[in-house]
Amino acid sequence: MTLPVRRAPLRLRLGLLALALILLLSALFAFLPPDGLERVTWAQFIGRFHLLTVHFPIALILIAPVLEWAGRKPRFPHLRSSVDFLLALAMLSSLVAASLGWCLARSGGYSGRLVTQHMWGGISVAAACWLCWMLREYFRGPRFDLIYTLALLATVGIVSWTGYRGGQLSQGENHLTEHMPGVLRKLIRLSPGPTVLPRSNPAFFYGAHVEPIFVGHCYSCHGPDKQKGRLRLDSYDSLMRGGKDGVVVKAGNVKGSELFHRVTLSPSDDDAMPPNGKRPLAANEIKLLELWIAAGASSTLAANAIKDAPTNDVPVVAEVTFPEIDPAAVTQLRAPLAPQVAHLKQRYPDLLDYESRGSADLVIDASALGAKFGDDDLAAIKPLSEQIVTADLSGAAITDRSAPLLAAMKHARVLRLTNTRITDTTVLALGGLDRLESLDLYGTEVTPACLKVVESLPKLRHLYAGATKIPADVPVSEEMRGKLLF
Amino acid sequence: MSDPETDAKNNPAPEPTGLSHPEARFALLQAQTRRHFLRSFTAGVGSMFLGTLGSPFAPPVKAAERNVDGSLRLDFTRDPSRPLSVLPPEFAPRAKRIIYLHMAGAPSQLELFDYKPDLNKLNGQECPASFLVGKRFAFISGVPKLLGAQYPFHQAGKSGQWMSDRLPHLEKHIDDLCLIKSMRTDQFNHAPAQLLVQTGNARLGYASMGSWVIYGLGTENQNLPGFIVLVSGGNQPDGGKQLWGSGFLPSVYQGVQCRSHGEPVLYLENPPDVSRPLRRRMLDAVDEINQQTYAEFGNPETVTRIAQYEMAFRMQMDATDAMDIHKESPAALAAYGANPADSSFANNCLVARRLAERGVRFIQLYHWGWDDHGTSAKDSLNIGFADRCRETDQPIAALLTDLKQRGMLEDTLVVWGGEFGRTSMRENRNGQVMQFIGRDHNPGAFTIWMAGGGIKPGMSHGETDAMGYEIVKDPVEIRDLHATILYAMGFDHHKLNYSFQGLEQKLTSVKPARVVAEVLA
Repeated sequence: MTLPVRRAPLRLRLGLLALALILLLSALFAFLPPDGLERVTWAQFIGRFHLLTVHFPIALILIAPVLEWAGRKPRFPHLRSSVDFLLALAMLSSLVAASLGWCLARSGGYSGRLVTQHMWGGISVAAACWLCWMLREYFRGPRFDLIYTLALLATVGIVSWTGYRGGQLSQGENHLTEHMPGVLRKLIRLSPGPTVLPRSNPAFFYGAHVEPIFVGHCYSCHGPDKQKGRLRLDSYDSLMRGGKDGVVVKAGNVKGSELFHRVTLSPSDDDAMPPNGKRPLAANEIKLLELWIAAGASSTLAANAIKDAPTNDVPVVAEVTFPEIDPAAVTQLRAPLAPQVAHLKQRYPDLLDYESRGSADLVIDASALGAKFGDDDLAAIKPLSEQIVTADLSGAAITDRSAPLLAAMKHARVLRLTNTRITDTTVLALGGLDRLESLDLYGTEVTPACLKVVESLPKLRHLYAGATKIPADVPVSEEMRGKLLF
Repeated sequence: MSDPETDAKNNPAPEPTGLSHPEARFALLQAQTRRHFLRSFTAGVGSMFLGTLGSPFAPPVKAAERNVDGSLRLDFTRDPSRPLSVLPPEFAPRAKRIIYLHMAGAPSQLELFDYKPDLNKLNGQECPASFLVGKRFAFISGVPKLLGAQYPFHQAGKSGQWMSDRLPHLEKHIDDLCLIKSMRTDQFNHAPAQLLVQTGNARLGYASMGSWVIYGLGTENQNLPGFIVLVSGGNQPDGGKQLWGSGFLPSVYQGVQCRSHGEPVLYLENPPDVSRPLRRRMLDAVDEINQQTYAEFGNPETVTRIAQYEMAFRMQMDATDAMDIHKESPAALAAYGANPADSSFANNCLVARRLAERGVRFIQLYHWGWDDHGTSAKDSLNIGFADRCRETDQPIAALLTDLKQRGMLEDTLVVWGGEFGRTSMRENRNGQVMQFIGRDHNPGAFTIWMAGGGIKPGMSHGETDAMGYEIVKDPVEIRDLHATILYAMGFDHHKLNYSFQGLEQKLTSVKPARVVAEVLA
């Protein structure tokens, strides 16, 4: 079979040019692969446009078989005539996208399995388009029709696989399955949670103490997905291999180990690791690295081989979170007593309020009213007694007449009766306050006789008994002694 | 009043919305910036036309219900005639009031809490060059010499925390304190550093911590200011009255400076021949005129003025009583070392306790004189520093004792600290060896302590390096401290905000702040 050069010289020239470009790009991929180094150059700038251009050839390749199929129907024969043009455009645009992709990968600090596969996938797409385009024009006949169909389907397959790899690069390895419902997960036999990297044996010092430090601090830049400075810390072998500037751990030589040097630099130093803004290693983590390197940096050193090694189970303090309040739920929670609360707030401004914006519990504070607040005023609050969690009646003009009202505050956690005229009678009535944590009797006339009831309060942590008739050396149980404050 | 929903149900007052209400109109004008104006200028002409048609397109004036991050905005609107009324915090608080003891001038952490035996060993040696590279100092020049602690250290209390021998009274409370040894600031001059600590910003014009707190929570006692400031040590702090200013918040939330000796507030008492009823009649007349002004212009500052006049009238009775330490027993005076005939930090501590008992929300004490450069006897570590310690040690310990005894340390947050730290090197002003011993300013590390109100007692957080010069573990920025304090008071620091100049202003400002969870009980 001779190539019909005379019939379409332009087409053939374009085909040869595209082939040459594919080969040139493959050579670039093979000899100048992405090496994890970041280069701020024109290449990085234009490389960023990879993400913009890459979706165009994908759409073209996916539409080509649709047109071929629909064009077989007698109604749309004209559709098939566009396919040739589409394939040429897909071939050229995928070449452009692959070139930009190489620029990005080469200069943007990428290296690793994912980027390599994505890169070769990209050039394969261009090559597959070229093949389809050639087959369609020059190799006609029933036998070749089947080959062409298969080639076209293979192109669709390659482009899908390459696109998925690209998605993994930018969105994370499990970007498609991350939020998959449990039923589907079971159906395709996917592990139920996020995938976990294999860990070294925790019986050895490396697996127990050293690797966890790298997991927490280093993997995001020196792990399976990204290898800044060509350094990988996600296995013992890659750690000992080092990065672009050579080995980073010299067994037995702490001072000469670049890795140790970097993590001990002042955080403001340009070379410090983890770099600016990231959480530095804790003192015990640095100590563990130092001991391990000094002991020979072996992967098989027993976990308990070094005496006096600090542990790296730093007590983890949970970060404070701020849950959002649901106003509708709060309104519903408060609804039963809201009219009474509003009424009392009107009558006694600044005396009574909800404990917080998300709660229906109440707090009363009569300390500012002092002597202006008496037994009768407290009686007015009676309907709300069970909602009260904190009652500060310091200096109020209340007497033992209020004992039943105080006893009715079943949910009270803090009860402050300093400098009031209450006596033992009131305290003896408080036996049912099984949520009370703090009882403040400072400056009242109470005597040791009331301690009997106080001792029975299950949640009590503090009893303030200064300036009362209870002497500081009152005989009480050891447990009570720890709660008494004078 | 605090719950708009239930209040509206029971007390259907006219909603202050729509352009007809003067305050809403004023708020709208306040919210306009030059950029808003330029952006909406062209559209504005069109809407002016539509407006004349009585069109339904005119946007309703309503406070945004959401913050820019999408979270629900907390509503701090109050009855304008009661701007300090109590509002509940966002979530259950750990503390309901704050006593902040600001040691103006920045006390040396290396002579009080940050024990550095290695620095003592290197005393008198030349400072390593690595300490000096890229650093700016207020006065140190050339190569200074390292300076070890000037006072012996020992371990104190059950918690075994290191402290020097300068604070023998406070030592009894060491197990109640939480030391933060890794405080850091970015300001190395007193005024901006104090402003940063107190207002969250080194520049003028921002709302102080106390203003934010009473803006958020109000105050139980309407006969006293919710935010009271007491100053001792012979000088005002360098940051000036801006340290307790309300900035962009309505001025009713600013701190009120009081005196523990003589009239609590200058000119609070009636002048001779003016009786209290006469004063009342005068105030009624002034209030009426102010009401007319408010009805006309709707400026909330007018309401503030009315409220302040009324509070001053009530304060004539209550403040005088609260500030009068003559009413304390001789034993109490002796415990604080207070002398009613004088004015002192000790008196102020005693007044602080009396104010806390009376429901004052934020009590701020400044004690000036900790700037020990070594330029004179009173500004030196060997003499002036020891005096400052003596002046403050016993009163602070007595204040903690009183709060603890009365059960108030449970819900009172006490904070002690300066505005930055001091260098590990001896100051050598103009490259000379100075007659007295001193240290220069070090914004890189300093120590503060907190006690009470939801703070873990008997611990220390963070570490400095072996020279006490830089932080090596758990740095705490000023904004982190602010976030932690607001958390203790029941607020998410993002939510306690106020829209001003196109920004949701916060005490923690714009950089991300972290609640120091490690110090919470």
